[in-house]
Amino acid sequence: MSNPNEASLPPTGMILDKYASEAFAGLVAPALDGVNISAAPANGPLAKEDTLVRMQKDMKRALEKPVSERRWVMVIDLRKCVGCAACTIACVAENKLPPGVVYRPVVNQEVGTYPNVTMKFLPRPCMQCDVPPCVPVCPVSATYKDENGIVVIDYEQCIGCRACIVACPYGARTFDFGYTYTETTPVAEGLVIGRTGAESYERAASFEYSEEWPRTDLRASPVGNARKCHFCLHRLNEGMLPACVTTCIGRATYFGDANDPDSLVSELIARPNVIRLKEELGTQPRVYYVV
Amino acid sequence: MTKKTSTSLFDFKTMNNATRITLLMGVVAFIFGISGLYTRLFIGEREVGYGSYVVWGLWVAMYLFLAGIATGSYMLATLEYIFNVSIFKGTGKAALWAGLVTMPAALATIGMDLGRMERIIKVYLRPNFSSLLAQMVWGYTLFLLIVVVTLWLAFKHKEGQPTNAFFKLILWIGFFMSIFLSGGVGALLGVNASRPYWTVGLLSVQFPIFAFASGVSLMLIIIGWFMHFKDEEQRYHLFRWLGWVAIALSLSKIYILWAYLSQAWYTQIPDVMTALNEILFGRYWFSFWVIQIAIGTIIPLVLHMIPKLAHNGTWAGLIGLMVLVGFAAARTNIVFPAMTVEMLDGLPTAFFGPHLDINYTPSNLEWSVTSGVIGAAILAFVLGAEILAVFNKPKMEVK
Ligand code: SF4
Ligand code: SF4
Repeated sequence: MSNPNEASLPPTGMILDKYASEAFAGLVAPALDGVNISAAPANGPLAKEDTLVRMQKDMKRALEKPVSERRWVMVIDLRKCVGCAACTIACVAENKLPPGVVYRPVVNQEVGTYPNVTMKFLPRPCMQCDVPPCVPVCPVSATYKDENGIVVIDYEQCIGCRACIVACPYGARTFDFGYTYTETTPVAEGLVIGRTGAESYERAASFEYSEEWPRTDLRASPVGNARKCHFCLHRLNEGMLPACVTTCIGRATYFGDANDPDSLVSELIARPNVIRLKEELGTQPRVYYVV
Repeated sequence: MTKKTSTSLFDFKTMNNATRITLLMGVVAFIFGISGLYTRLFIGEREVGYGSYVVWGLWVAMYLFLAGIATGSYMLATLEYIFNVSIFKGTGKAALWAGLVTMPAALATIGMDLGRMERIIKVYLRPNFSSLLAQMVWGYTLFLLIVVVTLWLAFKHKEGQPTNAFFKLILWIGFFMSIFLSGGVGALLGVNASRPYWTVGLLSVQFPIFAFASGVSLMLIIIGWFMHFKDEEQRYHLFRWLGWVAIALSLSKIYILWAYLSQAWYTQIPDVMTALNEILFGRYWFSFWVIQIAIGTIIPLVLHMIPKLAHNGTWAGLIGLMVLVGFAAARTNIVFPAMTVEMLDGLPTAFFGPHLDINYTPSNLEWSVTSGVIGAAILAFVLGAEILAVFNKPKMEVK
């Protein structure tokens, strides 16, 4: 029987589908020498499309709609998160975040007492609240909900009062004090990772909000501004998923348009085991956690 | 032999010891502040102790403190000009001058706190009035103008004559502004549902009372150390009056504090308890028990009840100073502890970097800048008062 999804899979999907399964099967193969086994059914009714592929398709559909009809949401499956912080680092790299600025830390919590102890991991992006307490407190309207429903910061308007950081109940905003990672690294002449090489990388422009923000002048924005996760708006505009979503090694972070009933996120948030953080504050977060 | 009036602006010879000591302290404080002011203005904000978790620090607390003195002083000035309380005759200009000096000092400390100071103009050009901060910037700027106009009218006002209608109108406007604005800075904190310790009722209502108490304390200093009276009886009556008011305010302060802290304690809400524990037994215990309660409240209360001390100029001024120091500590105890609460359990240890710390102690830069601003305010107050003759100093005659 042929795989019913095969025809619709793009080459990447087919490769992942085939080799990821085979590689895993290879790990257990020596113990099962001679037994004809596959870790995941590459063919057959249980065959699944990789979630990244599905989300890309969801995204393509969403981008064909008018901006105001999209409802971007993020779903994080806490049962799958392994606490590797790959998403944190992907975000730092994508947005060229300086020391002291973080958009998506993974909070580690130890639960229980010995011998029943376990670790809990909670990735925490900006919740892109539908009733964001960080917005009305801004004295100059530098932070607002844009037409995508994402809470953004206009770096050139922000006066750096930090009222929004005080108001955010999730600690989702950090302040850019103007540091660079390379300022304290030794100058290692001739090495790629010497200060000079690393510094030029670090000072090259980031592309937040689809604009260029070089870090050559430490008195220019976004230094002295509040900063936060924006669901990688600049990537969304180009049809790409947020960096944390594509990097998640546990496939624990999902992203898409909740106004599309066929999207993966719509399916996920309709389940009963989904929560949002600090619901009692009425902020109506757009980040959901599967528990 | 001809007599002529001294023409020099400051006559150090005729200054009393309290004025000289205050000037000296102002100079020392300002000198200590020079390096901090230079660093903050020309280098940046990196050396501060606050950050992304303890978001507001010493400068915001000092803004609340200095703005409280400014509004409180204005309330005191209305006693002479609106309410015609006879014993306050001649004190209004000094109170207004105190307000005029502390208001820019308050705005300077909050200005230092801005990541992009040069963009403050945007709050005037593109304000978002749903923001308490924007309301406060506009409100305090207008208030500053009102204080300037009031002081100008006070100088034009002839003693003994009734206050004219325009002057009265300005005074009433200023009076209401001083009440609303002093409460407003409390609301600036209280509207943040993210910080449960601030949302305990009573936070913003206590601010106008504390502002008035700050004004009274400053008045005790002015009357005790600097003012000249033709009739020493007036000074005595002022000490008595201000003493009673100060006692009543201290008692209401204790009551409000008790109501606030006991309610907070009773709820046992974890985020509130974290802040409360920090205040009562943790990082801020010294500031709370020793500075705010002992030096700022109990000792002045006891001293007020000893007439020999309470009616002595030097002591009355000292009592006023103690209460003011207590208020400064009280402001820090409102601002800092509420921020030492983890917004999500484990967040402060999820990612490491500069200014991602939940434990806050003001840095040297913050102390230095605060000292510089307060030093400048002291110098401006004393020297300006000499120039404007708001202390009713008799003109020196030299042979
Ligand atoms: S999580 Fe915080 S920063 Fe993000 S939208 Fe909500 S209140 Fe604003
Ligand atoms: S820090 Fe910037 S974005 Fe945040 S409230 Fe202040 S001006 Fe607005």
